[in-house]
Amino acid sequence: MLDENLSSPLIGLHLRRQFGEGEMRSVAVNDVSLEIGAGQMALLMGPSGSGKTTLLALLSGLLRPTSGQVIALGEDLWALSEQARENFRLRYCGFIFQGYNLFAALTAQQQLEMILKWGQGVSSAEARRRASEMLELLGLGGRKAHLRPSELSGGEKQRVAIGRALIKNPRLLFADEPTSALEWSHGEQVIELLRNAAHETGATVLCVAHDARIVPYADKVFYMEDGQLQDNDELNALRDGPLSNPVLQTPLQLPR
Amino acid sequence: MSYALSTLWYERQRYLPGVLAVGFSALLVALQCGLLLGLFSVSSMPIDRGNADIWLGGPGVLSVDLGTPIPESYLARLAAQPEIERCEVFIQGFGKWSKSNGASELCMIIGSRLGKEALGAINALTAEHRALITEPGTVIIDRSDMERLGVKQVNDMAEINMRRVRVVGFTTGVKSLAGPYVFCSINTARVLMHYQRDQVTYVLGKTRTPEQARAVVARMQEEYKNVSVRTRAQFSFDSQWHWLTKTKAGIALGYAAALGLLVGAVVTSQTLYAATAASLKEFAVLRALGIPRWRMQSLVMTQAFWIGIIGVALAIPAVYGAAQLADYLTVQVLLPWWLLAAAVGITLVMALGSGLAALRSLSYVEPAALLR
Repeated sequence: MLDENLSSPLIGLHLRRQFGEGEMRSVAVNDVSLEIGAGQMALLMGPSGSGKTTLLALLSGLLRPTSGQVIALGEDLWALSEQARENFRLRYCGFIFQGYNLFAALTAQQQLEMILKWGQGVSSAEARRRASEMLELLGLGGRKAHLRPSELSGGEKQRVAIGRALIKNPRLLFADEPTSALEWSHGEQVIELLRNAAHETGATVLCVAHDARIVPYADKVFYMEDGQLQDNDELNALRDGPLSNPVLQTPLQLPR
Repeated sequence: MSYALSTLWYERQRYLPGVLAVGFSALLVALQCGLLLGLFSVSSMPIDRGNADIWLGGPGVLSVDLGTPIPESYLARLAAQPEIERCEVFIQGFGKWSKSNGASELCMIIGSRLGKEALGAINALTAEHRALITEPGTVIIDRSDMERLGVKQVNDMAEINMRRVRVVGFTTGVKSLAGPYVFCSINTARVLMHYQRDQVTYVLGKTRTPEQARAVVARMQEEYKNVSVRTRAQFSFDSQWHWLTKTKAGIALGYAAALGLLVGAVVTSQTLYAATAASLKEFAVLRALGIPRWRMQSLVMTQAFWIGIIGVALAIPAVYGAAQLADYLTVQVLLPWWLLAAAVGITLVMALGSGLAALRSLSYVEPAALLR
């Protein structure tokens, strides 16, 4: 059940998103409510076309819901002006997308510095120091920090993308299939990084994934099908995985 | 290094067309204008390569080569001015040069005093030349015009305005436009031009210091309404301006330069547009992270600026190279500093304008598109 005082950092209430009109209308997200606590890594799973990526877009302030509310860090995200929502994302949100989406011409170090310098007006020296620290933490210290995307492996590129999302210490971190392009050994590292981000910095992490091997790492798992959160037996079976005990979330029943 | 420069260098292959387009535009603008200046400086050559500070001619003279006969007695008017150190007469006008084979050419007769300190004798005439043409009926032409005037060697004969002349020497590097310059004495010129005994085309003056010329000109313009009195610089400018505006050559060359700019602008803006469009996903990530749009706009503008700078830097040596080549082909290209500065300025503005036009690609940046 949702907290009465809505104290969780990320809450979705009766979220609905449809595309098209009339005959062409399709409902990607249909009356979904959920909450994720601070310091938690939540997984959002489900078959392709189930609406999980759309739900991520609604919760992260990138796509306006047809109806429903997103309460992020106490703010009614979609009641804010466009500019205010942009500022909200600037201050609090980190994103990791499916592709690495790194600037081909810039080194790993520069990709991270750019976020601090352009986003927060951090001085060059300070940005350099923090970017180095972050890359060190991600195992990309030394020479690797000065390589461009074309000189890095897929796993290394994804770590740079994660570093870009983490560099400003976001309180909300959204990841869309961050492991889908990686071998499992690299994917596992990425998931551990995200979990550490949640546990060590208290960030709220929402990660869309379809690889069930990730489930044991998560604190919370949502399963989505046909635009709605569902109970799922297979995931229930994974609950007692070797690494942790994620609590599989059953759909929330909210008064309408 | 800035992100803009890093990107330009790393993806130089992609940006090269833009840089070359800017360079090409700068080259074209500078060269066309330099060519124009070079071309029309030919018409003011007798002023620029002579020694006079003040030129007094008939009323409303538009250009030095369009002078009309005035009485030689006007010399006294100029001589009466206290700042004038010395003054003398000068004759210039078009003539018809008939070759020995019967064909004819337009030519420009220049008759001047020939003493060591003469104001009207241009600096291409050596002391020996001046001595030679004191003999009536003798002339000197430029080496580059020999073929045009059908002259093969010294002492060849020809006719100007039906009067026989003998070519006694050749200058070097005196380029001509409408008709080859023909240098001779005042007396020879008066005969060739069919002038009366007391007629000349101009009265030239030298002031004690060149700065005094403006004061003299201002005073004489006030005093004498039936003559035109101008300083060396003013008359030179007026002569060039007349030919620049009265002939369509100026428009044609300016048109070519404008076309060059247009092509440069289109190529540069397309290059920037394509390069920006290729990074739409990266920009979308930045937008998702809340980085304001103006940061990306200023990145594109900075790239446009550097494309401009690099293009111009490549163009300047090319301009000088092309000017050398033109000189070799006996076409004069003048490149004063202000012309180069203007060409650089115009080209940079064009590059920045191309950047502005390329900004529209950023309007396609849509962070939600990354989630599908």
